[in-house]
Amino acid sequence: MTTTHLLHRLAWASGMAMLLSFMAAPGQAADKPILIGATSSETGPFAADAEYNLNGMKLAIEEANAKGGWLGRKLDLKVYDDESKPGTAVRLYTRLITEDKADLLIGPYSSGITQAIAPLMNKQQYAVIEPEASIPTIYVPGNKWNFQGVASSLTYLEGLLPLAKKNGASTVAVLGLKSAFTLACYDARIAQAEKLGMKVVYKTTYSLPEPDFASMALAIKSAQPDVVLGCTYYPDAVGLVKAFKAQGFAPKYFAETVGPVAAAFTKALGPLANGIISNTGWWHNFKTPGSKEFAEHYKAMFKQDPDYHSAAGYGAVKVLGAAVEGTKSLDQDKIRAWLHANTVDTVQGPFKVDANGLSQGFSQSLVQIQDGHLKLVTPEDMAEAKLLVPYTGQ
Amino acid sequence: MLAVQLLINGILLGGTYVLIAQSLNLIFGVMRVVNLAHGSFIVMAGLFTFWFSARTGLNPLIVLPIVFIVSFIVGGLLQPVLIEPLMNQGRKAELLSLMVTFGLDYVLVQIALHVWGADYVSLPYLQSTWTLGGITLSKALVVVGLFAVAIVALLYFGLNYTSFGKSLLAASQSPVGAACCGINVRRVRLFAFALGVALASSAGTLLIMILPMAAESADNLTILAFVIVALGGLGEYAGVTIAALLLGVAQSLAGYFFGGDVANVLPFVILIAVMLLWPQGLRRAA
Repeated sequence: MTTTHLLHRLAWASGMAMLLSFMAAPGQAADKPILIGATSSETGPFAADAEYNLNGMKLAIEEANAKGGWLGRKLDLKVYDDESKPGTAVRLYTRLITEDKADLLIGPYSSGITQAIAPLMNKQQYAVIEPEASIPTIYVPGNKWNFQGVASSLTYLEGLLPLAKKNGASTVAVLGLKSAFTLACYDARIAQAEKLGMKVVYKTTYSLPEPDFASMALAIKSAQPDVVLGCTYYPDAVGLVKAFKAQGFAPKYFAETVGPVAAAFTKALGPLANGIISNTGWWHNFKTPGSKEFAEHYKAMFKQDPDYHSAAGYGAVKVLGAAVEGTKSLDQDKIRAWLHANTVDTVQGPFKVDANGLSQGFSQSLVQIQDGHLKLVTPEDMAEAKLLVPYTGQ
Repeated sequence: MLAVQLLINGILLGGTYVLIAQSLNLIFGVMRVVNLAHGSFIVMAGLFTFWFSARTGLNPLIVLPIVFIVSFIVGGLLQPVLIEPLMNQGRKAELLSLMVTFGLDYVLVQIALHVWGADYVSLPYLQSTWTLGGITLSKALVVVGLFAVAIVALLYFGLNYTSFGKSLLAASQSPVGAACCGINVRRVRLFAFALGVALASSAGTLLIMILPMAAESADNLTILAFVIVALGGLGEYAGVTIAALLLGVAQSLAGYFFGGDVANVLPFVILIAVMLLWPQGLRRAA
């Protein structure tokens, strides 16, 4: 074989190889899983509730994969632990975008952490559903790429004060942990009490870790309010109940936002948990589409009942899937426009947002711990039990 | 009556602070070792107690001697490997101990995360109260306070009136002088570290009845212990007890009159003020 022949053959072979590689490229991309990136608070003070949220996402992805994924591609979830710290979350979402080249993103646990990553989403132009960011100040004209996937923080425990007032309560104490979500709830409940003509006899904010709850509980005991509203996360929710008991005070209505719904709450407090009121964006007897199956599948997969955090995580993946299938693409501009224009039925209720991405469809119902179990007490048409008052602290 | 209740609340809170801080003080006092893993020992014992009590149904106060003995052995095994080799490094020993115990803290927190997860837990034990003449006393806080009193009393008498205690004090004041007098300084340091770890762990077993704890609360407890020890004076047992009680009362009053935010920031404000006015701690100032 002459050198010319050899060169011709090499050129022909390399040409064919290139042609084959071009032909193969679209097929390989189609087979490659869609990478969905997120952070979750696997450690730190938000870990108890964040785990439920992440499990909800995992279930939705498992279900989607069982049906062949989205756009004919399987889904792959990449999750990093943000340690309940906003700064860590920003670093990890940057990594998901720049190093892992995530196709889609889902928001982290808590309003504070979401607030920290919102500018990054705007800069990188990722349309992100935020399953755990309830504060409305994230969904403003400057933040064009964030969509609220949970009820607004202004609605947490919103149903309690009118109910208590109807039953003769007139004085309120409001406590708020210094975090974005709890402070938004704190301000909203104080404003609501004043609007209802109820007297706010005590209010204070505090920070974790381990504040001295005893002196706050004693101050509230001196003020003798009918209703105590704690805008809390799990650790302080537990600490406050113990401190009230230690100071020998049991308000008629004792409500806390985040914490009581977690199974660990009743384990930590035993009988003291009975009578504590909280709220939920989803409950197993909600008549929303897919709610029953969601509860069954979740229990089968994680050997525990889901809560509203699980429903929010589950719903976020479902809505994102609807947007991807609706646009038949992973193009962030198209997904963003679709999310603004459409309503998606989720287990929490209808996902529907205004021009700034603020939820217009989700709401919160009240639950109460009775005999060691959570019972839905509002709305009346779905309630499993009547609200039991007064809280006895026993 | 309110003033009495506030004072009692403060003293009981101070009692928990004594428990948190005194073991750190012991280890520093004898060995000049700044134990950054202090909070990890408290938290690991707390989480272990929660886990053990939940499974066996045993009263945490019965778990206490188990925790004390096991952690004493753990402390006794760690000291010759991690701490004792640093003692020959002269002036560098304190800095090196910071690094070694920082590493130990990281390892212990990761072990706790791996074994017990990241959730905050608390034991529903001794949650009821006694009421005496209008004053409400939490049984859990009273029990913790009594243990704090017992530990302070044992440390005081043990250090001042037993020959081994005097050896501990001698070794802390002048290791070379103590060795010249025939005191086995290595053994004294081993015992002090093991006892410090055992006391910290006992504090964890008691505190899990009061404070929700998670693996990652370790560093917060270490910082709190450092603030109290710095206020009282490093190596000053009476000073640290006084500082813990004063801080408890100050926080109780601040929390009642000014709310949670002021109570949170108060330890650090007091620390800055004391460091500026009396850098040797409250005990030396008195």
